[in-house]
Amino acid sequence: MNAKTETTDACDLRFGQVGIACVRVRRVDAAALCEELERRVRAAPQMFSRAAVVLDLSHLLQLPDDGTVDALLEAVRSAGMLPVGLAYGTSETEALASRMGLPLIAKFRAAYEPAAATPAAETRAPEPVARPEPILAPPEAGHPLGAQHHDGSVRSGQQIYARDRDLIVTGAIANGAEVIADGNIHIYGGLRGRAMAGAQGDEKARIYVSDFRAELVAIAGQYRVFEQIPDDLEGRSVQCWLEGEKLLIAKL
Amino acid sequence: MTAEIIVVTSGKGGVGKTTTSASLATGLAMAGKKVAVIDFDVGLRNLDLIMGCERRVVYDFVNVVHGEATLKQSLIKDKRYENLFVLAASQTRDKDALTQEGVEKVLDSLSEEGFDYVICDSPAGIEKGAHLAMYFADKAVVVVNPEVSSVRDSDRILGLLASKTRRAERGEGQVTQHLLLTRYNPARVAIGEMLSVTDVEDILGIKVVGVIPESENVLTASNNGVPVIVDTASPAGQAYSDTVARILGEERPLRFIDVPKKGFLQRVFGG
Repeated sequence: MNAKTETTDACDLRFGQVGIACVRVRRVDAAALCEELERRVRAAPQMFSRAAVVLDLSHLLQLPDDGTVDALLEAVRSAGMLPVGLAYGTSETEALASRMGLPLIAKFRAAYEPAAATPAAETRAPEPVARPEPILAPPEAGHPLGAQHHDGSVRSGQQIYARDRDLIVTGAIANGAEVIADGNIHIYGGLRGRAMAGAQGDEKARIYVSDFRAELVAIAGQYRVFEQIPDDLEGRSVQCWLEGEKLLIAKL
Repeated sequence: MTAEIIVVTSGKGGVGKTTTSASLATGLAMAGKKVAVIDFDVGLRNLDLIMGCERRVVYDFVNVVHGEATLKQSLIKDKRYENLFVLAASQTRDKDALTQEGVEKVLDSLSEEGFDYVICDSPAGIEKGAHLAMYFADKAVVVVNPEVSSVRDSDRILGLLASKTRRAERGEGQVTQHLLLTRYNPARVAIGEMLSVTDVEDILGIKVVGVIPESENVLTASNNGVPVIVDTASPAGQAYSDTVARILGEERPLRFIDVPKKGFLQRVFGG
């Protein structure tokens, strides 16, 4: 479209991260969509008035035709938001986006491709602020994102969060330091601080520590604090996992 | 040739930062380096007392930062070593009197004046004063006492040194971290009342650059306005000399970490 203007002299082209709201359409009803969004805009005008949004059609059983999509986009506009593109879906969505002259926001790709395979209607309410869905695949299936590595120690007051993935720390976690991962956590030094795995609710997440002296460990919200570390665990290599609602810890 | 900036910091108060700054600066000056030592503890200035120049402070660090005095006017020449200078903190201002640009300008000017080392004596805490003291550092001496709260605060400081300094922000590599264990009492370590050198090294994950034994000489020297390193007969003075040598790259074995054996006369008469 504007490829001619993209010369190095005339501008800089950079990728940056922006927060953008995602309108997940659950049924094809332009009037209802407009009404719902209007209500949101009225409730939080500073947040939603003239907010850039992307339209996500991947939760519809069938991709609507061009005219309907136009109507949906118009509904979003008349509610006071500004649709700037479509969320990534199937190749049909891609074709649709190019016919509409709208960009396809590829950021949503990883989160939506599995959903596209089984387009079952989800019962969850649409999230006003879009962020990639956490991938809660069990670790044995292999994390598509790989693990986040942290070389060396995590000092008191520091916090490390591995979003949507495992976390591997080669050093120690000091008292008052926190490591959090949506996946598993592996610590090859001493754990004196806190470790929280499965932060988005993955109950299969585990924590592995080679020198256990933790203040707190948690998996999927179930936690244990240690005022006194059991003698048989202190300084040992252990793993922590969840069985039902019980957080278990055992020597390796 | 730019001056090397060394911050002396700890997080916790009362562990011996100012004592260390004074002895480190003096030790480097004794080694023939041109050294300036700056007190960042605005409002609670102490360094001038320990350096024994409190009656010669006319203009201070805050005056220079605000352009109310020149650097030359404010640098106080040490009475023992002519290549050692003190820049005192202001006692009457509050800690917000320092600005990042102002501090940077002072440090740059010291570099231009041909100083080899600038020692920044940090205030306790992790607030603005401490942040400014460490921000421009090339090296850090983290002073720690063999007790748990001091160790934890030092851990926090080590984390800040790795993230909240100019080097870290510009990706110019780590601030070199030196851990200095002060107020070490081998007898109390032996009976389990204090953490040992190994305990502290294990918890913090770095080796110590020196161990300064707890000693009455430190208090006496401070009260007399003499950096303890000048007292070459005292164990603390000797331990500081060792530390300075190690910071300059020399290898020296740790001393004064074991319970001293009492001589026959001391055993008979007490000592």
